[in-house]
Amino acid sequence: MAIMRINVGPIHPSTHGVLRLVVDVDGDTIKDVEPHIGFLHRGVEKLMETRMYMQNPSYTEKLDYAAPMAWDDLYVASVEKALGVEVKEAAQYARVILLEYQRIASHLLWLGTFANDLGQMFTLFMWTFRERAAVLKYLEDMTGSRMFYVNLRLGGLSRELPPDFKDRGYKLADYLEPKIAEYTDMLDANDIFKERTKGVGKLNKADALAYGATGPVLRASGVEYDVRKNFPYYIYDKVKFTVPVESGGDAFSRYRIRFREMQESIKIIRQALDMMPGGSVAGQPIKLIGQQAKPDPVFMERELPRGNGIIYMVPDKQRPFRIALRSPAYINLSLLPMLCKGEKFADLFAILGSIDVVMAEIDK
Amino acid sequence: MPDAQEAPYTQEELMNAEAEMTQLTMDSLKKYKMNNNVMFTKLSDATQAIAKRMVNWSHTNSLWPLQFGLACCAMELMDFGASRIDAERKGYLLFRGTPRQCDVMIVAGWVTKSMVPRIKRLYEQMAKPRYVVAYGECATSGGPWWESYNIIRGIDQVLPVDVYAVGCPPKPENLFGALMKLQEKVGGKSAGDKERSITENPRRAEDFRL
Repeated sequence: MAIMRINVGPIHPSTHGVLRLVVDVDGDTIKDVEPHIGFLHRGVEKLMETRMYMQNPSYTEKLDYAAPMAWDDLYVASVEKALGVEVKEAAQYARVILLEYQRIASHLLWLGTFANDLGQMFTLFMWTFRERAAVLKYLEDMTGSRMFYVNLRLGGLSRELPPDFKDRGYKLADYLEPKIAEYTDMLDANDIFKERTKGVGKLNKADALAYGATGPVLRASGVEYDVRKNFPYYIYDKVKFTVPVESGGDAFSRYRIRFREMQESIKIIRQALDMMPGGSVAGQPIKLIGQQAKPDPVFMERELPRGNGIIYMVPDKQRPFRIALRSPAYINLSLLPMLCKGEKFADLFAILGSIDVVMAEIDK
Repeated sequence: MPDAQEAPYTQEELMNAEAEMTQLTMDSLKKYKMNNNVMFTKLSDATQAIAKRMVNWSHTNSLWPLQFGLACCAMELMDFGASRIDAERKGYLLFRGTPRQCDVMIVAGWVTKSMVPRIKRLYEQMAKPRYVVAYGECATSGGPWWESYNIIRGIDQVLPVDVYAVGCPPKPENLFGALMKLQEKVGGKSAGDKERSITENPRRAEDFRL
């Protein structure tokens, strides 16, 4: 059969943003996929060089709009390293609790849209958004904003936490746990879901490591690597949690990884709430001309919901001289042509969805 | 803005509404330079006037948005379509995948130079009458990226915008408010009910090149 070239996107309901895919198909079988990116490019790295250190979090938050606080934390941590600022102990606990809730919100968003991509399981979209609304309400009440928090300051948070921080944190964890467990009934026992995901988009261990995949995509291929475990930061060495690993390497395994990560996050949150000491969490107020940074380059990495995010920063005195962002979603997207080869066209969005891309982070 | 839960109408309100409806019909007849007495006007003119109102009314209560998200604001757009807000109760029935079935384009996110021809094409594919909502700071004015070399500072440089929703990102409730403003506009209750063309837009950059 002759090879036909099909254009998908850049505006397509299932591309999770503005991603254009040029797909070569032979009948119904994919021969090649070429992702075209850059439709959201706005030059973040360059813009960040023109701002003072603590003006930049509002840029980094918009890199990954499904989990804004994660990138914010990565940037603020690298600035803290450059300036030599210690984070208060209570603030470390508070950050971990908020970040893990952020991870749950991100995975819930992913799960709803993924199920929707796989054949209009719109019910699950409604369910996950119901739970996500509860998480966002908690984060809004604790930080002051619903989506872009900008609540991290040098050495802590922007303000003291409300007195009901712990009570509501426990309550939300109790609310989420059974709700998340309900999704297994909906998906693991669902024949359509299994048909669409099992054995689709297989990624073996060697390829995952060779391409530099990180996060749930890597762990679904049987590699146990998590920055929280391997290079613990904040209080992750004090709490007990396991790094979920699956050996399938297919879209179903990636779903299982994210699903189990949500359960692990709830465990981490409960322990952190138990162990959290009293005391102030407020960091330094924003000063445009503050203390001066050391001239050494800074390398900082964090486990973001999508994988291993890295910032390499060459500090100037009051602003970054040069900053480079390693986006995990960008690296994971480079797997797509390899994963899609030989698969059916209908599975394209199952594979793309299972990688979990955020275009703003990829285009920068 | 009307409340979400409207009280049941009293008899007096119903009488007032009827009087208002009669007045509106009379006004529209005047607009078409017809005699106030419907009996002596041409039947076709009268039906035309009434049909126009009918079409307007149905337009107002059935605006279908285009499923079209660019950046961060698309997250809140998804929340708008989910169960918490329940946009269907005001007629925003479904987010459609194709522009040919849509009335409202919600531009949610920053617009880069490479996206402009594509957004223009989507807009041209929409059936008239069509409306544009600039959702968020980026679509309104470029937002935090206003200094960037690859950003259009506001979608109103390219398309005629009907309603702006401001915030970074605006809450879904804010979008709901903006769309209710749009309903007022479509129904002719506020100024600017006719479709604007891009040439009327004062903010349009004349020497805009891609």
